[in-house]
Amino acid sequence: MEVKINKNDNIVTAEFNGRLDTPASLEIAQDIESIKKEASGTIVLDCSQLSYISSSGLRLFLSIRKAAAEKGGKVIVKNISNEIRTVFMMTGFLNLFEIQ
Amino acid sequence: MKRTDNSEKKLSRRSAWTGLLMLLVAAAMLEATTLIQFYFAEKALNKEASSKAETQLDATKNKIMDMIDQAEAAVRNSVWIAQWSLTCLDSSERVCSRIVETNPVIYGSTIALVPGYSSERPLFSPYVYKSPADTLITVSLATPEYDYPNQEWFVKPLELNQGYWSEPYVDTGGGEMLMTTYSIPIEDYSGKKAAVLTGDISLDWLSDLVSNINIYPNANTLMLSRTGKFMVSRNKEMVKGLSIEEVMAGIRDQEDFKKVERGMNSGGSGHEQVTFHDIVGHVYYAPVERTGWSMCIIIPDDDIYGANRRTRNMVQIMQLLGLILLIAIVRSLIRSQKKNRALNERKNRMENELHIASDIQMSMVPKAFPAFPERTDLDLYAAIYPAKEVGGDLYDFFIRDEKLYFCIGDVSGKGIPASLVMAVTRSSFRTVAVHESSPKSIVGNMNNSLAEMNDADMFVTFFCGVLNLASGDLKYCNAGHNPPMILTDSIRILPSEPNLPLGVMKDMDFTEQQMHFNYDDALFLYTDGLTEAENINHEQFSEERVEAALHGRKSSEEHLKNIQNKVKEFVGEAPQSDDLTMMFIHFLGKPGNDGEKCHLTLHNKVEEISLLAGFIDEIAERKNLDISLASALNLAMEEAVTNVVLYAYPKDSDGTVDIDATLGEKTVEFSISDSGTPFDPTAVPEADITLSAEERSIGGLGIHLVRNIMDSVKYERIDGKNILTMTKNI
Repeated sequence: MEVKINKNDNIVTAEFNGRLDTPASLEIAQDIESIKKEASGTIVLDCSQLSYISSSGLRLFLSIRKAAAEKGGKVIVKNISNEIRTVFMMTGFLNLFEIQ
Repeated sequence: MKRTDNSEKKLSRRSAWTGLLMLLVAAAMLEATTLIQFYFAEKALNKEASSKAETQLDATKNKIMDMIDQAEAAVRNSVWIAQWSLTCLDSSERVCSRIVETNPVIYGSTIALVPGYSSERPLFSPYVYKSPADTLITVSLATPEYDYPNQEWFVKPLELNQGYWSEPYVDTGGGEMLMTTYSIPIEDYSGKKAAVLTGDISLDWLSDLVSNINIYPNANTLMLSRTGKFMVSRNKEMVKGLSIEEVMAGIRDQEDFKKVERGMNSGGSGHEQVTFHDIVGHVYYAPVERTGWSMCIIIPDDDIYGANRRTRNMVQIMQLLGLILLIAIVRSLIRSQKKNRALNERKNRMENELHIASDIQMSMVPKAFPAFPERTDLDLYAAIYPAKEVGGDLYDFFIRDEKLYFCIGDVSGKGIPASLVMAVTRSSFRTVAVHESSPKSIVGNMNNSLAEMNDADMFVTFFCGVLNLASGDLKYCNAGHNPPMILTDSIRILPSEPNLPLGVMKDMDFTEQQMHFNYDDALFLYTDGLTEAENINHEQFSEERVEAALHGRKSSEEHLKNIQNKVKEFVGEAPQSDDLTMMFIHFLGKPGNDGEKCHLTLHNKVEEISLLAGFIDEIAERKNLDISLASALNLAMEEAVTNVVLYAYPKDSDGTVDIDATLGEKTVEFSISDSGTPFDPTAVPEADITLSAEERSIGGLGIHLVRNIMDSVKYERIDGKNILTMTKNI
């Protein structure tokens, strides 16, 4: 699992590459913390290369969303696959994020 | 045990004593027989001695009487001429000369006048005797020194008025000879006692006669005169003229001798046993009539019985030696018997222990057949036919996670060491194969542990295989063992890389190989005890015969028994030199059919959760599930398993999660079990997914997803295990 973080003006883009299962979530906890620091602006979670997400990953997404809500920022989830969309749907995450 | 030992000992001791006693009784009987025999032999010898002595006495007496008769006759026959010579005294000398001349037995002769008979010659006695030169010499005995009228030979006949034999005497006139004189009174024509006529005889012949009596080597013959004086004895040195009293002075007080003395002196005959200076002797005596002499033969006891007694002693010594020898032999026999018994006991015990070792060895390998009676996809049979000694062959098999783990091996060498290594190898296989699922790592692990403790430089040829019963995939690793035979359409040797045997070196890299089993394919594994079984001509059974024996459709058990019979037939009388171990695996599964099972075991480590993806992929591939379904199953499984991995076991303690999947035609059933703290995930309240981000809690999503994805979720707590069963319709 890999996370690439790009900062451009006020927009921070995090590109997820691989499977975000429980072990992977633990691996990228640091990356998530650094993303959360930018929660006052716009955060884009690019999921075009994310093939799988479990509840641990979802929790990370939720923690970013919560941080943004606190700091007045905004979280956009981009390019989710059908499988992940199904998961988002099942968990009500479709309503929590702006999906592009 | 101990009691039997003791009573056995007692029994053997008793039998030893009985044997000894019987031996002694036999010896005593033999001895008694010998003694009786000798007693009768002595009696016979005694009788023989008596008869010999008596015969000798008789013969000697007869010879003496002959001489006496001759002498007496010579003198008597001259009585008339002596009577006549009284009328002419001058002719007396001629008369005497004639007697001496005409009678060789007569040594000398005289006519002695009764003193005063002739007034002219008051004393008159011309004595004529033979000189040593055989001429006749005449001397007058009428000398005052000699005083013939007082000599015994002159007095006695006149007194008794009959012929008289004088006491033997040593002639001093002639040649110092022992002489005796027969004298007879002569009356003149008027009937008046006028003279005494004598004839002397030398007793030298008597001495010769006696000397020639040698019925026994040390026997002595004595002749006693009327007054008990020695006349002659066989031993010439014996003093002439000494009385028996004088000679036997030392033994005079002996009652035995007194008896003899009395007997002989009284002119009787008989037999006495006497003891003389500790020497026992037998005296036979008899009188010589008319002369008043007595004759005896003394025979030392030893002469009579000596030979016999020496023989008896010799026989007794021989018997004693024989008895001692016999006892020694019996003792050593008993001892060697005991030793043998002890040796046998030890041998038996060792054989017993070897049997026990062999039994233990046999009990280590699975022996209950059919091995998997509930399975229709597998027919497996295996057997070890051990050689006389325990050996080091082994096989093992078990099914875990729908995979058949099996192995066959042969420890180098034989006997207890080999069997110990065999036991270690087998338990190592069990230990390792429980958590390793590839033959390569099983073999590698086993090799390391065997090489580490291999001080005896023993090694194990080993073949290990893992057959996926669901898929028919066989993975195997051959560590220097005979490659098995594979039975598909044809029979051929399973291609296998020649790895080193186990235990040779640590950290070896083993090559793993694989092949696919179809329905009805089979694998035949064996140890070299099969191909190298030798007949008496030292021909080996060989792979060709194995292959030939494998033809034909049979059950696994029938195959093995058939081969064993073939080997038996081939080997014949030759002894089985090595263990013979065989395993026949007949695969009857139909890969891809209903009822497939998959299994995965995870440890309670977060990283292992990633392994679920591959597991689900395999199921998806087998069941042709689409990606989204597979992904959903993966997600549900991850949520359920993560729960266990993270929370079921206390932190930092080891635990496992077993995941089983049953792939049905229309469903996939998962079962997750763990031995952790009881926890029912289905009891967790539903997460409210309608809440806003601010209101949402971090947890509770997992079980929500599981419920959403799976068609049924069921929790059970069975035998201390949490079992979560989930089904997904496909």
